[in-house]
Amino acid sequence: MERTQELFEKIELYLSKELPAQEVIAFEKEISMDSELELEVEKHRELQRVLSDTDTLLFKEKLHKISTEIKRESSEESTISYSLFWKIAASIVIVFGVGTLLWNTLNTSGDFSDLYAAYYEIYPVEDVIRGSTQVEKDVIMKSYAEGDYQKVVAILSDNTSFPLTEQFRLYLGNSYLNLGKEQEALEQFQQIGDDSKYSENANWYQALTYLKLKDAEKSSALLKDIVDFDGVYKEKAQELLAKLED
Amino acid sequence: MSINDDRKILEGILAGDAKAIKAFYKKNFSYIKGFVLKNSGDEEDAEDIFQDALIVIYEKLKAGTLDIHSNVTVRTYLYAICKNMWRSRLRKKKKMIVDNEVLEENERIEKSISEEIEYKEREHLYRKYFLALSDSCKEILNLVFDGNNMKEIASITGYSDGYTRKKKFECKKALLEKLEKDPMFQELKITSVKD
Repeated sequence: MERTQELFEKIELYLSKELPAQEVIAFEKEISMDSELELEVEKHRELQRVLSDTDTLLFKEKLHKISTEIKRESSEESTISYSLFWKIAASIVIVFGVGTLLWNTLNTSGDFSDLYAAYYEIYPVEDVIRGSTQVEKDVIMKSYAEGDYQKVVAILSDNTSFPLTEQFRLYLGNSYLNLGKEQEALEQFQQIGDDSKYSENANWYQALTYLKLKDAEKSSALLKDIVDFDGVYKEKAQELLAKLED
Repeated sequence: MSINDDRKILEGILAGDAKAIKAFYKKNFSYIKGFVLKNSGDEEDAEDIFQDALIVIYEKLKAGTLDIHSNVTVRTYLYAICKNMWRSRLRKKKKMIVDNEVLEENERIEKSISEEIEYKEREHLYRKYFLALSDSCKEILNLVFDGNNMKEIASITGYSDGYTRKKKFECKKALLEKLEKDPMFQELKITSVKD
């Protein structure tokens, strides 16, 4: 039995009792003679039943998120202990002669870089709507996914006719960020408006860009906005704020 | 753990209180992870078991059918579900080598609960593989299972009607194919109740 869009739609109409009476009789006859089809219908029925229970699905999603957070926290703890080890080692060296001034400078910039590295994750590639510029979009997303940020920037900044949606601004901003062009990255993130569904993502990457630029004040202001927004980045923003205020 | 602590954690689970659930998760997961790793499983198996056992408790709380004996704490009850669930899954994976001694006296659960765990097994798999789909697939299927028709979904997502129908088909097909690749799915009986 081949799974086709037509078959799926027929099963869905049958299960929602929207299939005309005549077709129901014929379809039930077909089911009774084809065990594979019968099994397929049961799978669809089960899928519908299980996934319609949105409370349980949300609870499962929450557990998944909690588990990811716990894993991230424990890996951060080990990163912090590792970084602490090197700071202690460095301070011993300094005590033996390099000088306090140099240490303070290294220590401050090191903290920002550590935090940036601990929190920065490239904005993930999402599916896009197929359209006339699909081939070009495919090339951009493939290059982005493969880490070829030069190519992403080259296509998007050279092609003025390309519809630079907010999602693509996030890709472009992240590409600039990975090429060490922080100001250009900021320009992209700042063009994503507060009413956009990507505004929280844009604020998060803007906050990280300022962190990379060692501008804790601007980074903190954005992180506070993210906390107030109460979305998916809230907990990360709270953690990062706490570390910046330490 | 006092009766008061138990009441709080149960309230937290039912309310979906992320802070309370996270604290409970952190305190108890390592024990289950140790158990699963010692008994032919890996960390992913341990996470699946732990989360699915919490879902069993959540669903029982929601239905008002959670019946924990007064001499058993929530933690022990959770461990009992996890261990019984893992034994059952191992049996399906044809690797039944769980040491019988691993079940404490108060972790031997009633037959009715063990049957219920078995009955719910496929549901856990549906949810697991649904959550592993791409964000756009999850969005479309959530809207479908929420009872929206194609026109409503097209207007919410901004996709065309034809693209929405095609995408829905592809997402459902991908989900079913992922499920069918899981050896445990094949071992489990269909649990759906016909209308």
